[in-house]
Amino acid sequence: MELVFLLICGGLAVISSLLVIFARSTLHSALWMVFSFFMVAVIYVLLHAQFLAMLQIIVYAGAIMMFIIFAIMMLNLRQEQDSKVNTRVSKVIGVAALIVLFLELMLVSLGHSLSAIQGPITDTLVATHGRVAVISNFLFADYLLPFEVVSILLTAGVIGAVVLAKRVK
Amino acid sequence: MIENQSIYLALSVVLFIIGAAGAVCRRNAIVVFMCIEIMLGGVCIAFVTFSRAHQSLDGIFMVLFVMAVAAAEAAVGLAIFVLMYRKHGSIDLDKFNLLKW
Repeated sequence: MELVFLLICGGLAVISSLLVIFARSTLHSALWMVFSFFMVAVIYVLLHAQFLAMLQIIVYAGAIMMFIIFAIMMLNLRQEQDSKVNTRVSKVIGVAALIVLFLELMLVSLGHSLSAIQGPITDTLVATHGRVAVISNFLFADYLLPFEVVSILLTAGVIGAVVLAKRVK
Repeated sequence: MIENQSIYLALSVVLFIIGAAGAVCRRNAIVVFMCIEIMLGGVCIAFVTFSRAHQSLDGIFMVLFVMAVAAAEAAVGLAIFVLMYRKHGSIDLDKFNLLKW
């Protein structure tokens, strides 16, 4: 059952990601991107990371894609400007290098078995405490400093966006 | 080891390569930006897979931080696109070569 869901949703994620590249209009690319994010969220659920799946939908499919679609609408792009995939020689070379990279990554990720080190987060621990409680216990203890640094990063991002987009007189 | 682990890893590799190919081939800055998000998504799937296989939460935290960085990146990146459009009337990346060489 898990395998069926994985194959269907993984296949849909791959197809919609391809459609992001090959769609003619930028807006269609963005809408396929939303679909792809939803499929990745389903993959997270299959990996027992429900909290991440919710965040994926709220942050990516909600906030970031809203940003992007807003920018597309605001910029008033002409559709014929970028209607097809570019086929210059340098880009063909780039894609060939990527195919080599693909084969290497496949070889590494499928050819080797992982070490059998098992951490403390067993399924029974999660079942007794609840996943969000376990995550927050670790997030606000072991990962407190990175968490605070990320809040500074987000503030800096917002300020940077405002400063950049402000019209200079 | 979890069941279907190799399928999850293969899916993450495929998504990463699709995103990278799109970032190489497309010229529209916003589509390139979305392709980078696809690459991030592929990497996140690999992180969550390893996190589940090793019964650890580290991969999940890494994905959380990737999401936060992606949000900041979206804010700054789209502001840059708006500036580019305002200056040149287009966001075709082949026309912007000031810092290329």
